[in-house]
Amino acid sequence: MALKDVFLQHPERRYIMFGGGGGVGKTTFSAAAAYWLASQGKKVLVFSVDPQASLTDIFKRDIFGKGPVKIMDNLWAQEIDADSHIRGYQKEIRQKILDMYGLPAVPEEIERYIQAASAEPAMEESAMFDAVVDVVMKGDYDYYIYDLVPLGHALYYLSMAKVYDEWINKITKLRQEMREYEEMVSRLRREKESEQDQILQELLYIKNRINTSAGIFTDKAKTAFFFVVIPEAGVINDTQKAAGMFAKFDVPVAGYVVNRVIPHALLDQNIPEYLRRRIAMQDQHMGEMRKALGDQVLALVPEMDRDVTGLPMIEKLAAIMFV
Amino acid sequence: MTEEQKAEAKKSWLQAVRETIYGMAAHDMSRAALRTRASMEHLFILITMGDLLGVPVLPPYYSLRLLPYVVPQIATWKRRMLREKDVADAMF
Repeated sequence: MALKDVFLQHPERRYIMFGGGGGVGKTTFSAAAAYWLASQGKKVLVFSVDPQASLTDIFKRDIFGKGPVKIMDNLWAQEIDADSHIRGYQKEIRQKILDMYGLPAVPEEIERYIQAASAEPAMEESAMFDAVVDVVMKGDYDYYIYDLVPLGHALYYLSMAKVYDEWINKITKLRQEMREYEEMVSRLRREKESEQDQILQELLYIKNRINTSAGIFTDKAKTAFFFVVIPEAGVINDTQKAAGMFAKFDVPVAGYVVNRVIPHALLDQNIPEYLRRRIAMQDQHMGEMRKALGDQVLALVPEMDRDVTGLPMIEKLAAIMFV
Repeated sequence: MTEEQKAEAKKSWLQAVRETIYGMAAHDMSRAALRTRASMEHLFILITMGDLLGVPVLPPYYSLRLLPYVVPQIATWKRRMLREKDVADAMF
């Protein structure tokens, strides 16, 4: 099967993800897939959940933190600015405290807590994935293309979501039990309805957010996850390990796209021994991959003779990927 | 009373004195020490295994959402924590 067929046969898979180690071409392929889908008349948003995003470089447009930016007909790109997202969020929390208690300023120890929590390393990742929920839930586009973080981070996020989901279930249950006692007391005292438990409402909200963002990763009906690999032993090994772990989290892997394949046509030319060896090495790895993965290998993309930046190069790449 | 009995009586008297003094002076201290030891144990488990007990290991991003609701409780919570200040000091 070819990469194109996966899209043609499963138009319901609207969330497209390219995952892989660092520097294998995730962003490039995200951009190319977005370009191809847009040129097929689909409305596409390609967005980055990586703080070190490079969509700006690929499209040669400054899109960082500017919301969805129109690149061409049907194609929008977005890079989420986690830092400013976090700052806005902190401001919201502070304002809520001031409003709730009519305080002139946030108490010092509370402010310290806000600062400390925001310095946690997981903060940026959580903020990013949370922002994605807003982007995706609006549902303005036919396709959402995730330019993902390197595999380790994605796995970390998935496992985090699972742990938190279990914890929130536990704590929500506790909160609900507390609520029952509260209601019992107010019945005994013949009071009117007790106040709504706002903490419980917040917990349910948080649970919903985490489940939505992690749920998209594991939605077999709507999500297609592609691994990007390059034919080198280290990358293939890492990817196989990651694939095993992704399988445990029920991520629907749609196939593999191989990048940086040295064109065989070069063999007919007068090329140095060095290059011949590299081609032989890649052939060996490709053979092993085909044996292990069969028709899950969807496309081979050659090593390009220049950087893939700007729409003309993206178009060229898309034409190769989606033959 | 034989010499042996005398020695025995002296011994048990000394024993009684020792226990009385222990009871007066040190019993409370050792009980307090044991209690402190136990709460250190709990604190340790709380810090390392918090999620087992249902202590929030919520992502900091989301724990901020809950912060506004617990602002009034922070003072009481701090008082509780300060009561155990010696314990925390011993650990950190």
